Amino acid sequence: MRPLPLAIAAVVVVLLVFVPWLASDVMMQFAIDALLLAVLAQAWNILGGFTGYVSFGNSVFYGLGTYGAAIAMAQFHLPFWVGILLGIVLAVLCALLIGIPILRLRGPYFAIATLGLAAAMGAIVSNLPIAGSNIGLVLPLIRADTMFYELSLGLLVLCTLTVLWVSKSRFGMGLVAIREDEDAAGTMGINTTVFKIVALVLSALFTAVAGSIHAYWISFIDPASAFDPTLNVRMVIMAVFGGPGTVFGPLVGSFILSAIYEYLASSISTAAALLFGIVIVLAVIFMPRGLANMIGGVRARGPRYFLQNIRENRL
Amino acid sequence: MSETLLRIEKLSAGYGPVPVLFDVDLTVGRGEIVALVGSNGAGKTTLLRAVSRVIKAEGTLEFDGADLLPLPPEAAFMRGLVQVPEGRQLFGKMTVEENLRMGAFRRKDKSGLNESFERVYELFPRLKERRRQLAGNMSGGEQQMCAMGRALMAAPKLLLIDEMSLGLAPVVVDQLLEVLTDIRSQGVTVLLVEQDVFAAFSVADRGYVMETGRVVGEGSIAELQNDPAVREAYLGA
Repeated sequence: MRPLPLAIAAVVVVLLVFVPWLASDVMMQFAIDALLLAVLAQAWNILGGFTGYVSFGNSVFYGLGTYGAAIAMAQFHLPFWVGILLGIVLAVLCALLIGIPILRLRGPYFAIATLGLAAAMGAIVSNLPIAGSNIGLVLPLIRADTMFYELSLGLLVLCTLTVLWVSKSRFGMGLVAIREDEDAAGTMGINTTVFKIVALVLSALFTAVAGSIHAYWISFIDPASAFDPTLNVRMVIMAVFGGPGTVFGPLVGSFILSAIYEYLASSISTAAALLFGIVIVLAVIFMPRGLANMIGGVRARGPRYFLQNIRENRL
Repeated sequence: MSETLLRIEKLSAGYGPVPVLFDVDLTVGRGEIVALVGSNGAGKTTLLRAVSRVIKAEGTLEFDGADLLPLPPEAAFMRGLVQVPEGRQLFGKMTVEENLRMGAFRRKDKSGLNESFERVYELFPRLKERRRQLAGNMSGGEQQMCAMGRALMAAPKLLLIDEMSLGLAPVVVDQLLEVLTDIRSQGVTVLLVEQDVFAAFSVADRGYVMETGRVVGEGSIAELQNDPAVREAYLGA
């Protein structure tokens, strides 16, 4: 990657560190939410963007992260960092357990197989007394938005640095080869199953930590909110809107969509979801390959880029 | 015959409960070009899949003095057993250069990489001209060149080429056959699996003929060309 985007990113991160001393309470709520969503989109990008395997199972890792933190803190009165670790362990184990059989499926079959996981995991957790059954768990309450904000920001930076490494490494090259042609990748001596599982585990790890932070911040969790399949849909939309398989696409995509949604929700609360849907539909029609692709395309071909997309979609 | 590089003895393999290969014997000496011919469904590709360890097999399978049978496909690849797959299987949305780079994916010696690039571009000057083009946008012959170049980037000891001539114009096939002798002179051994018997025999030192999962004929090209059964079945004489 050229040094300019990296320099811009570094400056933006430094500026973002100081936001809590300037922003209002409402603004902070939005900022923490947006940062955590960006982590989810970026983590999804590691598997979905680079290998092309569309996972609807990431909300499972998110849920395990929330429950890891909640069980450690609410049931055993352990510190927060132990909760994060527990969440990571649960999510990574789960990623290995489901990844080894399911990552042998390709294309839509993989997506379908992951689709049921969140519901199944929600049902399992609802029946575990240690996880508060279907009532949920209450975590110790603290008012520390600044800490949650800085933690989320740090996690996002870490996750993005990981994606940056992936994009430049041999490992990432192997993932892209899998996306382009998995059989050919195998012919080149790439153990595609191992590569995909490592990508899934990395994805699960960051997703789980985001879940832990969110759980402590909200301080109440239940199965329905922890294993929410619509959250997974948002990860996919944000990453694909920004540009899957790029380093900054999912970040920019998730920030823009979070901002649009927040603006719509506060100005016309009832029709917000509808308008948000329209934004997504327009995005798919005019820039189906994401923001990152659009910027390059418009620079090269001007407005004709959009016309070409419409024609290729055969609308 | 020179020192043996690949030794296959009494090899049987199949897909699940369906046996396809029966007691196949085949050897490839270092520095040889060996042709493996046979009609559709003779088991040629299955033999390649067994050799490159993609499917299970029983019998003896030795490469470069080591037993291959217990190894996974990546390990066989690492030992220098590299396949040019049927239908080329290029990364269509990557450039020629990126495809070649993917061929060197498992190589640890970064220093030899530039040299390999040079050598591939020398063998296939067309690839050098097109190195920034997307592999999927090239002609069939150029794609076959790219697939062979990509395999050479892995620094193979033995190149397994499956159906090189498939869907190519005869003049292009002739060019590729010439390159095979150049490849051999650079110390790479070649096992050429072909339906086009004329093409395969024009460049090979020795040949094997397969039918319904068995080796039914073997010998030098001259012997095979004079074998009445081979003449009738494949050479139309």
